[in-house]
Amino acid sequence: MAAPSAAGLGWRLRAWLPRIMPVRWSRYNPSYLEPEAKKESYQKPLEELTEEEREQMELKAVRPIRAAPPTLSSSVFSDPMISKFTNMMMKSGNKVLARSLMSQTLEAIKRKQLEKYHKAPENEKETIECNPYVIFHKALKNCQPIIGLSSITRGGKTYQVPVPLTDNRKRFLAMKWLITECRENKHRRTMMPEKLSQELLLAFNNEGPVIKKKHVLHKMAEANRAYAHFRWW
Amino acid sequence: TLRLICTTTTVQRKNVGASGPGKYTEAFIKNQIEEFNLGKRHLANMMGEDPETFTQEDIDRAIAYLFPSGLFDKQARPMMKHPTEVFPEQRKIQWGEDGRPFHFLFYTGKQSYYSLMHETYEKFLNVQKHQDQLIAQDLPLQKEKRNLAGSRWLTKIELEEMLLEKLSDDDYSRFIQLLQKLVALPCADIEESYIQKFSKEVPVQSQKLVIEPLQYDEQGVAFSTGEGKRKTAIATAVVYDNGTGKITVNGTDILHYFPVLQDREQLLFPFQFLGRIGKHDMVCTVSGGGRSAQAGAIRLASAKALRSFVTEKEVEFMRQAGLLTVDPRVKERKKPGQEGPRRKFTWKKR
Repeated sequence: MAAPSAAGLGWRLRAWLPRIMPVRWSRYNPSYLEPEAKKESYQKPLEELTEEEREQMELKAVRPIRAAPPTLSSSVFSDPMISKFTNMMMKSGNKVLARSLMSQTLEAIKRKQLEKYHKAPENEKETIECNPYVIFHKALKNCQPIIGLSSITRGGKTYQVPVPLTDNRKRFLAMKWLITECRENKHRRTMMPEKLSQELLLAFNNEGPVIKKKHVLHKMAEANRAYAHFRWW
Repeated sequence: TLRLICTTTTVQRKNVGASGPGKYTEAFIKNQIEEFNLGKRHLANMMGEDPETFTQEDIDRAIAYLFPSGLFDKQARPMMKHPTEVFPEQRKIQWGEDGRPFHFLFYTGKQSYYSLMHETYEKFLNVQKHQDQLIAQDLPLQKEKRNLAGSRWLTKIELEEMLLEKLSDDDYSRFIQLLQKLVALPCADIEESYIQKFSKEVPVQSQKLVIEPLQYDEQGVAFSTGEGKRKTAIATAVVYDNGTGKITVNGTDILHYFPVLQDREQLLFPFQFLGRIGKHDMVCTVSGGGRSAQAGAIRLASAKALRSFVTEKEVEFMRQAGLLTVDPRVKERKKPGQEGPRRKFTWKKR
């Protein structure tokens, strides 16, 4: 039914069933830990691990672990950021289309960079980055805002207060801006991969509308610096 | 002479010491235990077994045979258990004949909880005093870290059973916080025996699974089977050794059955993780579910089958990678008054 029940656990752990049903819940008992699919983390010998990693290992040996989702894989081609971005691009659950668009984007980036590489003179050839994954990660990092605004209502008036952002929030905002930019500000006939690859290359070089948006946000935060003391968290 | 037929309620009312839902006196429980033991011997005689060596499992089997029931709920069927399991443990009456309670914290309402907190805090202060003494004598404090991963605290229900008193979530979390503070102190080894009363050992997860041995078919090729489920799709996989990496699903090659790259990636995930891509052949059958669910089911089945080919350490690595857990996520049901599991009907002002 709608009630959460963990897969095959004893009566001891069933004690977790909450009294009031929360809105956001998961089918897993909270004691289940996230899976780790990378092969390298299991091949490290015992001596190299730090204290924290050793504790983490011991904890993992005792606790049950969640099932790996279909997007997670130990192959070299699977990247968590790329899968997150693909999921955000997906519409109505059409993962096949989203994934093909993503791979076409990466291909387009590679082609453009290779063109530039072959046309460039010898001394500049080393500075041109051809790996589309590196370009994607660098571009996302450049788009991430450092500080965000949050609306706080005091005495009837709503102020925009500058607030520090968590890592997840920064990544989400960067990806969201990229996708909305590509969906709205393009010519009717341009395909999504083409426009996305264009935007990513511009963001890689710290140019383009997404970077401008980030700077605008930073300026607004700087302008509203006076209200920073409204933040209580 | 007139015989008194109708009596007043004051005469009829029984002399009960404490009111409340069904208090069981000690004599009553003793009576029940004697009756249970007698009944056990009668039952053994009836079934033709030896009354001396008649265990609880035999009792359950006998009752299920003599009183067959079609009820679904196991708790509703006829059962014969030892009275200590049937009647919940209750506290004896907490006050004497003059009405004065025995425990000094009786009027707080939760006397055992508060006395427990007092005791624990006393131990805490004890440890701090010992620590101060060691510092005054300039002796080094013991820094051995207790192994936190191998033990867990008692759950709220277990604590309630121990104290025979209802607790609230807040009370329970406060008690656990106090215990954690106590354990965090360097000289907490003094009160180790007290702390052990409230902690339980957690068994290492990998010891729970039983790995099946390899089977050999006619040509002498080793193989093993595995079953997997995901969201209404069920799959069985047979993994053969000395193979070329060919995978067949329901008689067709995976390239034809799973045109999407993501599904094929999922099928190869266990093999790629163990580094055995070209070494095994696989034949699987799958039914039910959709495209992604079938892929997930086959992945689980192949991971389970590969356990027999691989060392225990690698099985543990597979478990930590999430390959051996059954995914419990299923489609959420639609609720009445809503259009879907979460979506509500369009709100109309009038």
